[in-house]
Amino acid sequence: MSDVPLGAIPVVDPRETIGSMTDRVSGVPLRTTGWRWWWMALVPSASLFALGLLAVGWSFYRGIRVWGNDWLVMWGFPILAYVWWIAIASGGTFVSAFFFLVRVEWRTSINRIAETMTLFAAVCAGIYPILHLGRPWLAYWLFPYPNTMTLWPQWKSPLLWDFMALFTYVVASVLFWYLGVMPDLATMRDRATRRTGQVLYGFFAMGFRGTGPQWRHLKATYGALAAIMAPLVVSVHSVVGLDFAGAATPGWHSTEYPPFFVFGALWSGLSTVMLLLLTLRRPLGLAPLITERHIQVLAKLMLTSSLCMSYAYILDAFEPFYSGDATERIQFLNRVFGGYAFVYWGMIVCNCLFPLVLCVRRVRASHLMLGIVAVGSIVGMWLERFNIVVISLQRTHLPSAWGRYVPAVFDWMIFVGTIGLFLTGFLLAVRLVPMVSMYEMRELLAEKGQA
Amino acid sequence: MILARFNAEAGLARALERFRAERIGPLQTYTPAPLQGEPATSPIPLIILIAGLTGATASFALQAWSYTVAYSFPIGGRPQFAWASFVPTLFENGVLVAIAAGFLSFLVINRLPRLYDPVDESAMLRRASRDGWFLQVATEEPELLDRALVLLRDLDPVHVEELAG
Repeated sequence: MSDVPLGAIPVVDPRETIGSMTDRVSGVPLRTTGWRWWWMALVPSASLFALGLLAVGWSFYRGIRVWGNDWLVMWGFPILAYVWWIAIASGGTFVSAFFFLVRVEWRTSINRIAETMTLFAAVCAGIYPILHLGRPWLAYWLFPYPNTMTLWPQWKSPLLWDFMALFTYVVASVLFWYLGVMPDLATMRDRATRRTGQVLYGFFAMGFRGTGPQWRHLKATYGALAAIMAPLVVSVHSVVGLDFAGAATPGWHSTEYPPFFVFGALWSGLSTVMLLLLTLRRPLGLAPLITERHIQVLAKLMLTSSLCMSYAYILDAFEPFYSGDATERIQFLNRVFGGYAFVYWGMIVCNCLFPLVLCVRRVRASHLMLGIVAVGSIVGMWLERFNIVVISLQRTHLPSAWGRYVPAVFDWMIFVGTIGLFLTGFLLAVRLVPMVSMYEMRELLAEKGQA
Repeated sequence: MILARFNAEAGLARALERFRAERIGPLQTYTPAPLQGEPATSPIPLIILIAGLTGATASFALQAWSYTVAYSFPIGGRPQFAWASFVPTLFENGVLVAIAAGFLSFLVINRLPRLYDPVDESAMLRRASRDGWFLQVATEEPELLDRALVLLRDLDPVHVEELAG
């Protein structure tokens, strides 16, 4: 394949028709055999989730002092994991909304996987700030509502903007996903052979039957929502950047942050989509629909976003010296040569240097290498969040507040718990929901004359 | 009612054209994908726009009122009506209202959820969500039904079914 130009690789196997494609995709949740790998993945994922629940329960009981957060590094694990998850989530919306608007044909068979990833990653992100409140049962205080204390939220705080952005993003992602899934649930309802399946899919399909008006309004609504989702996702991650930029902490207080965070979202999100595609397309029998074309396009997008990251890191290293601020300089030197220097250099290797192998066509042709780069990106972005959240807070303006943050065992338990939650949720979705948007594929096949 | 299944989109499109010309109806289509060439008008994008602007305006009003009147919080002599810092929240709130309005109006305009419809009695309609292109003539008038059956003979449907309701 290495000599074939990208555009010549088919975006869908030429032998597929709308009927065979529908059977292939809808057959996955309906089949009763061939799920051994699924159970082998679900059991450890659900166990991790249970471990996380245990740690959350203990944190509620004892209070969040069981975490590693201290008076100097108040943000620690919960916020770094929050930012990490929301970045991964954003990548899915980029694929599904942004590339819908620019009408690229390779978006059609991967948008469902990307959106489902967004959904569960956004849920994982969403629970962290609530846990971090310390008294999560008072989370509703974040909403503006008339109350007996006559208090109103601090509208000028980026933290409140972030709450508004995240809340909007989770609700919007669910509705956008559900709108796109509704016609496919109708297909599932019509193809299910068992009563339970017919009733449940029928209930959630809400009576979508593919009538003329239903399609007409669906297309209009979906297009309009995609046009809103694209700027929304940029705003959400920019606001996450402002959480940091709005504080006077050295290392955070920079106008570079919002775009820098959006680059990071693209990089880790695209890598996660890549990893899911590489893992799932064979066990789900979707290889004729998710072809080499999709993988090569994503590989190039990954390389592009990694280069954007490198640009942001160069600026990040330039600014402390250009600003002439001694604290900024001390903070940066501590980042690069201090006790957590391996985090900084690990981040540089995973996000900037190693992904450069994607410049070589032979490397992009190897799915194993693509998988390794993608895992490296996910690890590298975690290191970046640690680098930003923890290391910056260790060297603030007050030398008396300098110290070292060490995560506690409960921090790790909750973190792996969210990974378990993500994987459990995603696996359940794979088991129950068609993982390719069938109605959009039918349109694509009709355009290609493969009806 | 009469339900006719066609093998391809072109067959259904031709039938639709003939039935419209003969003024037999009301007609309804059931298709696996949006039918090409049909008008694509929908009021929903406009509803979304209006809802979004309303949500954003309401959010701005709430922020401005609560920050200047209800809970004035002077810090370092900075202006109370700090409109620029209200912008991120008004954008997010506007988007939330717009998307919720879009989704809900989709349901309301299509009268969903609608878990039962007389047309569901046809077992072959299940192909409509796979690769069957269906035309429904939703009338009970015997004269119209007869004309429809005659017309369908020329249009080469795969299958024709008469249903009650």
